[in-house]
Amino acid sequence: MTRIAWWMVESLSRLLDGDEREVVRGDLAECGTNPAQALCEMIGLVIRRQAVPWCDWRPWFMLTSVVIPIGLLLSYATRSWGVTSGADISIYWRFWDFSYLAVPGWRRDVIAVAVRIGSGCLALVGWSWTCGFVLGRVSRRTVGLTVLMFAVAVFFGTMGTVIAGQPPENPSLQYHVVFVVLPRFFRTFLVLLPAAWGAYRGSKASSLPLGPTVLGVMVLASATFLVSHGLERSLVFGGLVPPDPGPDGFLVSADDPRPLWFLSLVMMWPAVYILAETSRERGTRRASRA
Amino acid sequence: MQLGEFEYLMLTAVARLGEGAYGVTIRQEIEDATGRPCSLGALYTTIERLESKGLVKTSMGDPTPQRGGRPKRMVRITPKGAQAASAFYNAVIRVSRGVAWSATK
Repeated sequence: MTRIAWWMVESLSRLLDGDEREVVRGDLAECGTNPAQALCEMIGLVIRRQAVPWCDWRPWFMLTSVVIPIGLLLSYATRSWGVTSGADISIYWRFWDFSYLAVPGWRRDVIAVAVRIGSGCLALVGWSWTCGFVLGRVSRRTVGLTVLMFAVAVFFGTMGTVIAGQPPENPSLQYHVVFVVLPRFFRTFLVLLPAAWGAYRGSKASSLPLGPTVLGVMVLASATFLVSHGLERSLVFGGLVPPDPGPDGFLVSADDPRPLWFLSLVMMWPAVYILAETSRERGTRRASRA
Repeated sequence: MQLGEFEYLMLTAVARLGEGAYGVTIRQEIEDATGRPCSLGALYTTIERLESKGLVKTSMGDPTPQRGGRPKRMVRITPKGAQAASAFYNAVIRVSRGVAWSATK
């Protein structure tokens, strides 16, 4: 018990700045504080230290403009795209024939699926990286906690909702991979890791180069345009928004109304912020040189 | 400069301890004076707040064996801090004039 308590004190102290960590641990050693009391003291100090940056508006702005809205949208998108991509891939995997590439109509289908999956993956990585970057840049001192909350929103945002075409009660391995493993894979490798990478890059003081930033935002905007229908449908088929088939009475047809078209703008705002910030920093550097 | 009660207690403890003011001694001084426990969290967040207001200055002291080879954070009061503490003290004296407190109900 004593060793566990000291290990927890040691672990918690890592959340403090280097100098303060040494000073506080020195104080505890000098006072001969017992492990339980030391743990209480350390918890109290860490909570106070973590709470201080939240007196500012920035972390709250990040929470309400990035973590909750975009985290939830990414949660629905990853589940929906994980399932649809898994279904497409498993069908082609099982029934693959090179004649799919020879016949023009079939080839068009293969290309459409590849573009859909590719642009979906690209958009997820791009949105997540830009979200992480903005979290790190706008509120550096709370970046650890906001990225953690972002991860919670992404992984648990769809909890309690079901997706259309849910697997049977005793699903086969293939169903399990499509409905469970792939969404988790998407969330981990296409959302969480890029977001963490973006947060690390955003919390560094150096600015991004303007040329690659413009190019990156253009690529992300193109990917967003390609997947915008899918993003809206991930909410409809995820049970969050009631489906509306439009005048023809068929879902996923060209005349379906799109009341959620603005979601693409929500996903793009971190990228637009990064572009504006990079342009401003470049202008400031030029002015200081002149 | 507006001070809170705990900030005043800390400034007074730092002034009284002089060269020997650091985390452990300040905490001991406050606990002895008030009879209430003083947590490390309250101590160090208040020191940081007072430093950001320019009322105290801190520096890293030498490591000692009894602290496991870890340094102290030495604290000393600035002229601005002494002025703020003096103003707080005078305000308490003024507002207390003519009032006789009784410990019994």
